[in-house]
Amino acid sequence: MSFAVLLHYLPSLIAGFGVTVLCWSAGSILGLAIGFAVALLNRLPAPPLRWLLRAYVEILRGTPFLVQLFLLYAGGPYIGLRLSATAAGILGLGLYSSAYFAEIFRAGFAAVPQGQIEAAMSVGMTPGDILWRVTLPIALASTVPAIVNMLVILSKETVVLSIITVPELMYQMQTMAAETFTAFDAIFAMAIFYWLLVEAVSRVGRRLEIKLTAFMAREASA
Amino acid sequence: MRFDIILHSLGYLLRAAAVTVALSLAGIALGFVIGALVCAARRSGDRFLRRLGGFYVSFFRGVPLLVQLLFIYYFLAEYGLDVPAVVAAIGGLGLASGAYQAEILRGALNATPAGQAEAATALGFAPFDIWRRILLPQALRIAAPPLINEFILLLKASSLVSVVGIAELTRVSMNIASMTYRPFEAYLAGGMIYLAINLCLAAFGAFAERRLAAGGST
Amino acid sequence: MTIFDASGLSRRGLLKTGLAGAAASAAWLGGLGRAFADTLADVKSRGELVAATEMQFPPFDISDNGTYKGVDRELVDAVGATLGVKVKYLDLPWTSVLPGLEAKKFDICIAPVTITKERMKRYLFTVPIADATAALMKRANDDSINKPEDLAGKTVGGQKGTSQLAQIKEFGAKLPKPIEVKEYVDNNQSYADLAAGRIDASVNSLPNLAYVAAQRPDTFKVVLPPFGQPTYFSWVGRLEDKTLIDAINAAIIKAESDGTMAAIQKKWFGQTTDLPKTVPEPTI
Repeated sequence: MSFAVLLHYLPSLIAGFGVTVLCWSAGSILGLAIGFAVALLNRLPAPPLRWLLRAYVEILRGTPFLVQLFLLYAGGPYIGLRLSATAAGILGLGLYSSAYFAEIFRAGFAAVPQGQIEAAMSVGMTPGDILWRVTLPIALASTVPAIVNMLVILSKETVVLSIITVPELMYQMQTMAAETFTAFDAIFAMAIFYWLLVEAVSRVGRRLEIKLTAFMAREASA
Repeated sequence: MRFDIILHSLGYLLRAAAVTVALSLAGIALGFVIGALVCAARRSGDRFLRRLGGFYVSFFRGVPLLVQLLFIYYFLAEYGLDVPAVVAAIGGLGLASGAYQAEILRGALNATPAGQAEAATALGFAPFDIWRRILLPQALRIAAPPLINEFILLLKASSLVSVVGIAELTRVSMNIASMTYRPFEAYLAGGMIYLAINLCLAAFGAFAERRLAAGGST
Repeated sequence: MTIFDASGLSRRGLLKTGLAGAAASAAWLGGLGRAFADTLADVKSRGELVAATEMQFPPFDISDNGTYKGVDRELVDAVGATLGVKVKYLDLPWTSVLPGLEAKKFDICIAPVTITKERMKRYLFTVPIADATAALMKRANDDSINKPEDLAGKTVGGQKGTSQLAQIKEFGAKLPKPIEVKEYVDNNQSYADLAAGRIDASVNSLPNLAYVAAQRPDTFKVVLPPFGQPTYFSWVGRLEDKTLIDAINAAIIKAESDGTMAAIQKKWFGQTTDLPKTVPEPTI
């Protein structure tokens, strides 16, 4: 490992790491929000709307992120959507992950025992109250592991953003490799950087999972 | 939009799609074998094996597939181990997918009530029979939807094997984009083919899920 | 830059020591000793020259419906015929072409690479195969740019790590208002962004840009004259493969004297250019 090269490029690698974290977190928040909205809308008794949402989910899950990102970034300007690379990257990550999050939330809603809802109705709770105080806590508690898993997957998908010149970690690594011809060092450095990133995300995720599950269980029983 | 360009290259795209499907099938099969072994290690009584299984999952889920492929194909060759491109591609996909499949199988086995295995032991079932007739059928039923999902993810991830010089679907879409200077049409065509394959897979998944569920109720 | 080379060597030394046992025994046991053989003799006994490039670099490298075409294909075929061997072509993403060369996955890189001082230290270059002088391309309907100097204060995109990109940076710094440079993973994304209006020009070698503009004259136009110093494209081999590169050089020079090169140039560039018969001393 040539540490001199790594040391020389360290500032740009750290900056790239920052951009990776920014895109990952902003994209995830966007994806969670859209995914949740899709799952909620999907519960409305309106078949055409549900077909539309189904198509949305299937298209985004059925095509590679790289292809989606490229169509959004290169094709966007033709329909008047002119985004900077980073904005397109965040929006792309958000749209892509929203399909997966929508499915996770849908499964979460499906996991709520019908008896609980019937019980809530029989004690006279309003539909809004039932959603807020019964369905959601139970649904969310059961989805936490799947959400954490998806967040881990997303943190690795950010490498694709380098293709549209988002100055994230992979992009900076490639710059280093191209300028110094140290391809093997870059492969090594990438393996270590991403492993650390994913390990950190997984660990924080597990801790969050334990806390949230306990909190949700308490809320649900309160 | 110039779709005559796509029509000109349709055969090229479809051949590449076949490569993508074949590599993914081989990768998912290899991944299942590795996943079952790693899952067994993680559930074994031996602490060292459990640790080893845990490390495997952490490493192969943590390092991006792209980096794994570069390592197998180029880095090993620098030190005398010349892995052919197809082997590197299937091996890379299988090793990475093995980590995910191990976790899927582990989750499914955890969801199978422990009392059942105990009851079977009490009834005098041999350990292998308990696995084959009680644990595995139930675990597979639980694991079927996430396994299909993993297949879809792997199929999309297989776009990365172009780094070892294999002309799969994404690579060919890019080749067409560069030859025609019409990236939008080329990527759209590639995306549609991915979508078609994955919709077939999802339909198969739904079918298998129904069959397995029906089998469980009898 | 010397510090990188020194540390590069020590890294290799360290890793090689660490893995020496395993590698040596693997090579010995598996009969994978070709790392120590002469590559030219190896190519001849195999009857096959394995050449790698990225087939996304028209007019040099094109994959048309799965068939490899372009300047490099026709020239390497002529070289193979002279050497009396068949040629096998590999299509690799550019970022893995040079690592693959070092890892001995193939014999030569036939992607056109600009000769620079820094690159000469790590690789052996063939005699020039084409002109690589850096030029600019604009949108066909953009009337604000008529010569390279008009790009002062505007944005130019190009492929990272290329000498054309380094030259536009140097050129832009001398203008009254500096040029903003955007770096892409490959040239095709730069062209796509030029068409989409995100950048004002793309930088690349003149033969590449002339070909792009000829393919899509309604979208792109080359800005003349080329702004860069005269530079050339060569193929790239490993430092230790001097005998192979010497043989390939002789074959390229033969193609130039017997008219094969002129025919290829006429077909793909529309005109013929004389190329130096020796590896030129890089100016950058």
